[in-house]
Amino acid sequence: MHPAFSVLFFTVLSGAGYGLMILLVIGHLTGLSQLQDGGVLLTAGILSFILIAIGLLCSMGHLANPKNAWRAFNRFKTSWLSREGVFAIAFFPFALIYLGGIWSNGADAGGIFTLAGIIAAVLAIVTLFCTSMIYASLKTIRQWNTSLTPVNYISLGLMSGSLLLAAIQGSVSGGLSTVLYQLALALVVLGAIAKIIYLFWIGKPAGSTINTATGFTQASVRLLDQGHTSNGFLNNEFGYTVEANKLVMLRLLMLAMAFIVPFLLLLTANSNLIVFAAIIAIAGLLVERWLFFAEARHVVRLFHGDQQT
Amino acid sequence: MKLGLVIDLDTCVGCHGCATACKQWNTSGTIGPLADKDPYGREPVGSWLNRIRSYEVDDTPNSKTVHMPMSCMHCEDADCVTVCPTGASYKRLEDGIVLVDQDKCMGCNLCSWACPYGARELDPEQGTMKKCTLCVDRIYDEKLPEAERQPACVLTCPTKSRVFGDFDDPDSEVSKLVRGRAGKQLMPELGYNPVNTYLPPRNKPVQDQIDPASLKDTVKGWVNKIIAR
Amino acid sequence: MSITKPTSPLNEVSQIKANVIAKDLPAFEEHAKQDIKYTTCYMCACRCGIKVTVEDNKVRFIQGNPNHPINKGVLCAKGNSGIMKQYSPAKLSSPLLRKPGTERGAGEFEEISWDQALDMLEKRLKRIRETDPKQLAYFTGRDQMQALTGMWASQFGTINWAAHGGFCSVNMAAGGLYTMGHAFWEFGDPDWENTKYFMMWGVAEDHSSNPIKLGLKRLKERGAKFVSVNPVRTGYQAIADEWVAIRPGTDGILALSMAHVLLKHQLVDEEFLIRYTNSAQLVVMTPGKVGDGLFYRGDSEVPQVWDQVKEAFVDSNLPDITPALFGEYTAPDGTPLKTAMSILVEKYMDEQYSPEVAAKECGVPAEDIERMALEMAHVAFKETITIDVEWTDWAGRKQDKFIGRPVSMHAMRGISAHSNGFQTCRAIHMLQTLLGTIDCPGGHLAKPPFPKHVPPGIKPAKEMAPNTPLKSPPLGFPTCPEDLAINEDGSPRRIDKAYSWDAPISCHGLMHMVISNAVKGDPYKIDTLMLFMANMAWNSSMNTDQTIDMLCEKEDSGEYKIPFIVCSDAFNSEMVAYSDLVLPDTTYLERYDTISMLDRPISEPHAACDSVRIPVIKPDRNVMSWQEVMVEMAGRLGFPAFTKEGGERKYDDYKDFIVNFEKEPGIGFLAGYRGKDGEKSLRGEPNPRQWEAYEENEGFFEMHFDMNQRYMRHANLDYLKLAKEAAWIGNTNQIVIELYSEKLQKFRLAGQGLYDGPMPTEEHHKERLVKYFDPLPIYYMPLEEQRIDRDEYPYHAVNQRPMFMYHSWDSQNAWLRQIMSQNYLFMNRVAAERDGIKDLSWVWVESHNGKIRCQVKLMEGTNEQTVWTWNAIAKRGGAWGLDGDVKENKDGFLMNHLISELLPQKGDKMDRVTNSDPVTGQAAWYDLRVKITPAAPGETGSWPSYSDLKAQPNAEPSPKMLSYSSHKNVNLLRSLSDILTRGNK
Ligand SMILES: Nc1nc2c(c(=O)[nH]1)N[C@H]1C(S)=C(S)[C@@H](COP(=O)(O)OP(=O)(O)OC[C@H]3O[C@@H](n4cnc5c(=O)[nH]c(N)nc54)[C@H](O)[C@@H]3O)O[C@H]1N2
Ligand SMILES: Nc1nc2c(c(=O)[nH]1)N[C@H]1C(S)=C(S)[C@@H](COP(=O)(O)OP(=O)(O)OC[C@H]3O[C@@H](n4cnc5c(=O)[nH]c(N)nc54)[C@H](O)[C@@H]3O)O[C@H]1N2
Ligand code: SF4
Ligand code: SF4
Ligand code: SF4
Ligand code: SF4
Ligand code: SF4
Ligand SMILES: [Mo]
Repeated sequence: MHPAFSVLFFTVLSGAGYGLMILLVIGHLTGLSQLQDGGVLLTAGILSFILIAIGLLCSMGHLANPKNAWRAFNRFKTSWLSREGVFAIAFFPFALIYLGGIWSNGADAGGIFTLAGIIAAVLAIVTLFCTSMIYASLKTIRQWNTSLTPVNYISLGLMSGSLLLAAIQGSVSGGLSTVLYQLALALVVLGAIAKIIYLFWIGKPAGSTINTATGFTQASVRLLDQGHTSNGFLNNEFGYTVEANKLVMLRLLMLAMAFIVPFLLLLTANSNLIVFAAIIAIAGLLVERWLFFAEARHVVRLFHGDQQT
Repeated sequence: MKLGLVIDLDTCVGCHGCATACKQWNTSGTIGPLADKDPYGREPVGSWLNRIRSYEVDDTPNSKTVHMPMSCMHCEDADCVTVCPTGASYKRLEDGIVLVDQDKCMGCNLCSWACPYGARELDPEQGTMKKCTLCVDRIYDEKLPEAERQPACVLTCPTKSRVFGDFDDPDSEVSKLVRGRAGKQLMPELGYNPVNTYLPPRNKPVQDQIDPASLKDTVKGWVNKIIAR
Repeated sequence: MSITKPTSPLNEVSQIKANVIAKDLPAFEEHAKQDIKYTTCYMCACRCGIKVTVEDNKVRFIQGNPNHPINKGVLCAKGNSGIMKQYSPAKLSSPLLRKPGTERGAGEFEEISWDQALDMLEKRLKRIRETDPKQLAYFTGRDQMQALTGMWASQFGTINWAAHGGFCSVNMAAGGLYTMGHAFWEFGDPDWENTKYFMMWGVAEDHSSNPIKLGLKRLKERGAKFVSVNPVRTGYQAIADEWVAIRPGTDGILALSMAHVLLKHQLVDEEFLIRYTNSAQLVVMTPGKVGDGLFYRGDSEVPQVWDQVKEAFVDSNLPDITPALFGEYTAPDGTPLKTAMSILVEKYMDEQYSPEVAAKECGVPAEDIERMALEMAHVAFKETITIDVEWTDWAGRKQDKFIGRPVSMHAMRGISAHSNGFQTCRAIHMLQTLLGTIDCPGGHLAKPPFPKHVPPGIKPAKEMAPNTPLKSPPLGFPTCPEDLAINEDGSPRRIDKAYSWDAPISCHGLMHMVISNAVKGDPYKIDTLMLFMANMAWNSSMNTDQTIDMLCEKEDSGEYKIPFIVCSDAFNSEMVAYSDLVLPDTTYLERYDTISMLDRPISEPHAACDSVRIPVIKPDRNVMSWQEVMVEMAGRLGFPAFTKEGGERKYDDYKDFIVNFEKEPGIGFLAGYRGKDGEKSLRGEPNPRQWEAYEENEGFFEMHFDMNQRYMRHANLDYLKLAKEAAWIGNTNQIVIELYSEKLQKFRLAGQGLYDGPMPTEEHHKERLVKYFDPLPIYYMPLEEQRIDRDEYPYHAVNQRPMFMYHSWDSQNAWLRQIMSQNYLFMNRVAAERDGIKDLSWVWVESHNGKIRCQVKLMEGTNEQTVWTWNAIAKRGGAWGLDGDVKENKDGFLMNHLISELLPQKGDKMDRVTNSDPVTGQAAWYDLRVKITPAAPGETGSWPSYSDLKAQPNAEPSPKMLSYSSHKNVNLLRSLSDILTRGNK
């Protein structure tokens, strides 16, 4: 699949934003001591808000006919994209109320604000799930059409959120919370495991072949002519290929940036370095997301000569 | 009704007639225009609703060339429809035609991602999704002669490799062809249940050879027969 | 052909449902605002009938006319893209004159008015006509109005006229017309309805583009077998039941070897041979003597046969005789005689024609050759069909049925574009004849006005005088050396050297030689070259690279070697840039035109048909149809056929001319709706409302023959009478199929020095006549292959027509060029791997004439010794309204650069001889042999490359985005409630 930058930024940034919000609310409401600080909460909440908003704006950039974007809520009944949109929008008022409460009342806002926070967190995780299901539900792309996709999206969202949370908490309140940084460590490990499982999983040949695509299942099939000389919409959208050696490099880079370096930086338990870890991890996740697209092979490619998706 | 096409791979010569007929009809049709970007430049790319691909099947000496026209299959379980957030994509209840309401599409491409058959192309100018309409604006147009209430691609196909009809009607030409010629769906494993069906190339007809009666080695072996002019 | 007309695809119940559904739909089209008009497609030469829906002078939809005899409602990819031709940015919009002081090719033109243009042309042509008419060479490319242009040239008085047949497929025309009076190409069709075994030789698309496709479908429906002989497997070949991957140029030996098998097993239709062919006629067997190999006539004028009952020599054309098909006889004067059939059998029973030997040459396994011959024999003799209709034979005898031997064939440029194509074509016709499959049910059927007598009775003109029309048309059918257009010293009279010893039976001229000959002044120089619809500066020239130079070559005086070039084109083609005066034509949707019975009309085997074009769109530019220009010039120059007694013009315009011109009483360009009230067909006085009648009849005329006139028309009296009445033939004599060609033998005798008439003096001419003018079909290695080192150039290189492009003129089409804007050199995968050539790599391809660089694609379905590409995809940047960096220019390639118009140079007399069939002068495009080497790293893009051509003055830049529609779309809306409430389905 052609990795569209708008979509990469959207999923990575809003993923981090949602992750951050979820952990923030959980930490706050479960009474984690370092998260009872209005400044930390507000900073993290606003960052989360901004990330999500930027992400959503990016996703709009992906639309070829944005004047109809508002219609995207209509098909809640069947469309994960529609659901994502509905939940994403629904998230905002609750998040706003929650943050408003913290802004006006500080950490112990209570009551309605707590409820709003809980709802916002739930909506955040639901949105994250919906986003992942947009991809996971596509039978046309074997690399996405798996429960590993939501696991990935959610775990990486939480992971990047946890890094951000730790970083903010560390920078704003000075002393780094052990719980938060251990949580971040745990989530980085979890994210890495999920990703590695995923990478192994997509490495196994499976899925449709040029034979089932063309209906000639008994013999080899080779493309002779795709019927047009220049690349058309389908080639541009689905025909993206990464060279094998470049792919290995990128995977290593991704693993290093998204997981290993943040992990090592986390081990230092130095709050400045953790800011750095969060930034590198998010950059790494951009690579991760780029690969998520670039390594996904849409079945349409079979018709254009790929032997296997 | 379950409307769709049967495509005969035994006779399709890959002429692209159906592809251009489709482009021609539909560019002024209900989902038109079908724009073309860089039409006289290096990379001309337009939106088409029907394309012809050619394959070589098997290796020499058994290999065979096959032309495979592909347009929307009007799938019964069309994920292109379920994924569409705006509701622009829909499958008509009456006849199963899968359409894109051009006024409602926001150009997110998701439906094209959900389509295994490459049947959807984004219009480079309007930014809306274009796809085969099964010529809904022809097949029900009662002002057209009855015989012409057919998709443009079907009317034009010089080898009559495309047949339009109602798959729900067991006596329709399409149903008979599918039964008689062991029609196949493409990528059935994905479960879209495409309506359009492909008829595989037929086996070679068996031709008898004459049993040679006599073997003449020279012209002397020939005997004049009395045949009046 | 009984193609079922489309009926409603929905059965009753579905139809009822559909009617209900229709009620809920918006009116998508405003039918009241739309006009339906009928005319004839000209996206190619197939001439399908089209039904055009027009709104606001814009085309809504072009569809096939279901009633039309040619296409029965279907259209090809090109026909469906007519809109994009009509709105092409390459359309010429005004007459253009090369700016004084600028060079040819620079494309610096000024727009002039039609008055200026026509005056200029008139002045020049008038001077030429008054002094030396041959100084005008008038050649026409892919046009279909040769009846008019040929007549115009005759009236002008120049023999230097021809259409494209010489570089196209004269081998097929001549091969057929000198054998059976009709031919492949546009002259005949397989009997798609009845044939059970169809063998197609070297056809990718052909002129019967849609009819062949419709026909193949019919074959498949009926379970008939379809065999394709072709080195490449694409298109039609892809759906063949058997693909015979022959080595190019060797079809002759394959056909003759199958004949060998038939003869060995005595599987021939002796009755057919005796009744309908000249194979029982007696040939004089006096080698080395004048008269050898000619038919024995005794005291009669007619060739003799041996009557087995009378035991005497009798005229071969008598009814109720019993000719001996075989045997040696002695004439009363002691001359040894042999039947043509005996000669034939002896010849082909020789081992050199055995499947084993043939297999080595053509690469088709011996078992397959044998099997195919026996399969055909089975179909012809064991699966015979009969049509129980009483008919009358040429002698007036009633016959109770037509006997059909349902084997049919079709062949085209895979055969004709070789220098042995004429004889190969004859070999295929011989095969058909031995099986008795000519014009019988299930066989190969002629299309009226064919068959004609063998060959048609027109002789080529050779005398010219100032201000005087020619006595006969410039082109005709020589039957003996006396008919050649040569001077006393044997030198050619025509600029293209047609009808000279180089190519005696070149009955369509040699258009591919005109520029080269005129520039060299060999045989002489000319003043004006007038080209209509021919892209000679690009894809229709051999040796394009050097042709472009030749067009710009100058004398020492500074004048161009071809002083004045006029071109009629509708688009900014490559040729436009090399012309001095450009006359912009209308598009096919904008003009009146006739597809005339005097030409090759649109007839079907069982119906005489012709058709017209009627404008459906008003031109938006300053253009005039070439038809109109021709009639105008003819009037201005005072051609006798176009003026009244007093010199006053006879015809107002083209339409008037078509209606009122009579070639002979009652015979005009259009055969339908003649007679004062339009009640007469084929012959009748002019009908002032003839155009209207055609318009009312959807642009065509179709006259079905009675059942008894539909087959065996070479010997069918009722048909022959009708054909004579229609002036298709001169008399109702039987048309005798000439397996043995005495006409060819006369030329051969001239080569042997044994002819009582003109004879060549040059050794190479003698040798060619002796070798290639065999009265019986022969196979010989194509000439280029004979003259090059076959090991150095190991591959054959041929072209194919893409089904969706017509020569050079469709790259301007925004839709069609998306299908293909770059061509590749296709190679067999195994061969390429052996040579270390990779898929999609760039290679150098070199012939004896030059080299090119192009990109390779590997495939399975190509003969291992063959490489090929799609024809005429490459374009020059800037031409055709295209940008400079288009793939057509930067990545596509023309094979033409590799093909020489002369034979490979060896330092002998043959160096000056055309690279053409030695009999007919047919351009030998597909004789090309090449070597292929990988290009160095970094060497990409096609080569040679050229500077971009200029757009015409005042041209608007080609748009960057196009979204054509004839009206605003009526969207089918999905209701909000459905969107909100519908579940998964
Ligand atoms: N779409 C389209 N239609 C056209 C045209 C066009 O440009 N486009 N051009 C028109 C014109 S002018 C013409 S002349 C006709 C020509 O129509 P075709 O006769 O179909 O001509 P080609 O495309 O040259 O095809 C020649 C075929 O012969 C094969 N071949 C080459 N060498 C040999 C050989 O030695 N033996 C055998 N058996 N096969 C061989 C090639 O592989 C190819 O398939 O088409 C007409 N119709
Ligand atoms: N290498 C190679 N070369 C070949 C062949 C091959 O097989 N291989 N095939 C050969 C054969 S068979 C043929 S017939 C020739 C064909 O070659 P040409 O006869 O040159 O045919 P086109 O390339 O179609 O060019 C015709 C010209 O007519 C112009 N034209 C189009 N429509 C109109 C119109 O309505 N009015 C006027 N006045 N002009 C118009 C076009 O713009 C174009 O410039 O090519 C030959 N060249
Ligand atoms: S072919 Fe593609 S676009 Fe058409 S219904 Fe099926 S999934 Fe949807
Ligand atoms: S591109 Fe249009 S039709 Fe397709 S899913 Fe998006 S909104 Fe729906
Ligand atoms: S049915 Fe209509 S829209 Fe669909 S491919 Fe055919 S012509 Fe195109
Ligand atoms: S028009 Fe018919 S023969 Fe031509 S590509 Fe389409 S389906 Fe095949
Ligand atoms: S074959 Fe195609 S281009 Fe040629 S006349 Fe027919 S429809 Fe037109
Ligand atoms: Mo041609």
